[in-house]
Amino acid sequence: MSDLQNILNLSASGMKAQANRLRHVSENIANADTPGYHRKTVSFEEVVEQGAKTGAVSTGDVQLDQTELTRVYDPGHPMAGEDGFYDGSNVALMIEIADAREAQRSYEANLKMFDQARQMSSSLLELLRR
Amino acid sequence: MFENLDIFKMASGLARHAVTRQEAVAKNIANADTPGYRAQDVASFEEAYEGNQAGTAMRTTREGHMMSASSQETNGFRLFDAPGPSSPNGNTVSLETEMMKSSRVRHEHDLALSVYKTSMNILRTSIGRR
Repeated sequence: MSDLQNILNLSASGMKAQANRLRHVSENIANADTPGYHRKTVSFEEVVEQGAKTGAVSTGDVQLDQTELTRVYDPGHPMAGEDGFYDGSNVALMIEIADAREAQRSYEANLKMFDQARQMSSSLLELLRR
Repeated sequence: MFENLDIFKMASGLARHAVTRQEAVAKNIANADTPGYRAQDVASFEEAYEGNQAGTAMRTTREGHMMSASSQETNGFRLFDAPGPSSPNGNTVSLETEMMKSSRVRHEHDLALSVYKTSMNILRTSIGRR
């Protein structure tokens, strides 16, 4: 029974991590047109408790993508330099959407495992009923 | 008294195996996007059962005993690195395989519980209750 509880914890940690990733993707998409915005990326890592890997997952530190910002030509823009260009963001919408899809897929897989473990524990409890 | 009957022992062993394997699957799915994570799997019930019969399998009987990293034990079942191709970030989890494993595990768990329940009914009938 405690193992089943552990499965619920593991799946919940996976869902939390994927939701966090999706949040950063949506921040990136929202800021796709913000001048000078660097897209944020998160990586996943295993949780280590008291020197042992628990198997749960969490998101690591947020990192800024250091690829070059796009140069946008708009002489009328208040931030435009002498040559009429200003720094846009380095968000590529296509990449963000692909990332969001992947996060969603993994989230659903975790959710399915959660549901599976829940059903298993309830069918175990069903044995106690007459 | 009843847990010493062979059929109950085997049913509960099978249910415990199912839960242990489900835990490994949940761990893999939670870490489906963790760089460098190696997918784990639990040896089949047949193997554990035969190992118990023969009594030749290696077991950790004391605290100081160490198992090699590639094969550990949880709940008396052997845990090993599942073989498979790895993605560019060194992760070897395949969501499809894990889904397949999890539904097989679910089936195994249902089977164990039904056997347990049916044997219980037979016992009840034999002592004259319905």
